[in-house]
Amino acid sequence: MSIEIFIKNFAFAIEVQPETLNAETEYKALDIWDSLNTLSVIAMADADFNVALSGQDVESSRTISNLWTIVEAKIVHA
Amino acid sequence: MKALSGIEIRAVAATVPTQVARTQDYEFLTMEERQRFQKVTGIAARRIVRDGQCASDLCMTAAETALAHVGWARESVGALIMITQTGDQPVPATSIVIQNKLGLPQTCVAFDVNLGCSSYPYGLAIVGSMMQSLGIMRALLLIGDVSSRVCAKNDKSAWPLFGDAGTATALELDERASPMYFDLMSDGAGKDAIIIPGGGLASRRPPNDGPVQQEMGADGTYRRPDNLILRGADIFSFAISKVPHSIKRAMDASGKTGDAVDYLVLHQANKMINDTIAKKLGFPLDKVPTSIEQYGNTSSASIPLTLCTNSDFFRDTRSIATSGFGVGLSWGSAVFNLPANSVTTCVESDATY
Repeated sequence: MSIEIFIKNFAFAIEVQPETLNAETEYKALDIWDSLNTLSVIAMADADFNVALSGQDVESSRTISNLWTIVEAKIVHA
Repeated sequence: MKALSGIEIRAVAATVPTQVARTQDYEFLTMEERQRFQKVTGIAARRIVRDGQCASDLCMTAAETALAHVGWARESVGALIMITQTGDQPVPATSIVIQNKLGLPQTCVAFDVNLGCSSYPYGLAIVGSMMQSLGIMRALLLIGDVSSRVCAKNDKSAWPLFGDAGTATALELDERASPMYFDLMSDGAGKDAIIIPGGGLASRRPPNDGPVQQEMGADGTYRRPDNLILRGADIFSFAISKVPHSIKRAMDASGKTGDAVDYLVLHQANKMINDTIAKKLGFPLDKVPTSIEQYGNTSSASIPLTLCTNSDFFRDTRSIATSGFGVGLSWGSAVFNLPANSVTTCVESDATY
């Protein structure tokens, strides 16, 4: 699994074009970001990476890269 | 867990108030947010009690429906257990007051249980095992909440989710009944995911003298201390990771595969949660009836309300897998048979007793 796939799936989850995001995107600053997107990202991590993210994981991370670090750690320890 | 034998469900009844609150009319969200909220949660409308109607009232009407359906003499009811988190008053237990109002005999066991979204599997296990061990022939399990009365109307994370409803399930000892299979779980580490912090005696939010004031929470929302706080993302994460395993354990205990289960009836939390759970277990959505579109998240009442909302599905005997999950954290699953014609149609009522 790579961060590129994570970014693509992240974009799909929040319904934006993948090319509008990158590892350093501060997702909570996106115009379209709202609390329902948190649910979409948690669902994506569960479905695509078999990782249980908490609301806190999504809400306290800043960039997509920060969140990927958490997901990647949980994959390793799964 | 051991199977519970000899308990038959004779009737399931549900009541909702008549007042409709539509997502499209919720003034604290923009029009765009309302549409998005409805799409993700599946909630188009909810029923909200008018001033004065309580969970006990909704459950009383449901109990009358159930008693009329089964035709029991009231003297024959040996237990009445109410599960709610919005009872009539802190003391005494609401179920005991209902015992009198329903005209049930003094020989009737009555007590309340404090559970929310996991109430139905827990309730069947509590009442069924007590009936079996104490030899109580007939019992009523009342489950309902008026969440609208504990949520702040301006709280966008809670108010537009919850609807009010009350239900009644009539249970009878019957040696011929198919066994019920349970999986019942708890995790108090998640207590803050759904909480009413004020009004209790644990001193986290002791009552103050003088009028109750709204205060701004960490999420920027103003609430009273006795309003409900919901951390939706944490509930979402918990539900999609824990609940499928729980349902699977109950199904494994029953020896049934998904093909042998007619319907998966889930607590109506939100559409995205339930679609995810169904997908993980391999249930097609036409085997997963809902009530969330018209009634929202009805907390403890959601599973029996969903049965009654879809009563046409239950004209014949059906094998059911069900799971409730939420506040506590508490979650549980049950696999059992619903006898033919035991599920009554949902009744609308603003009656108070």
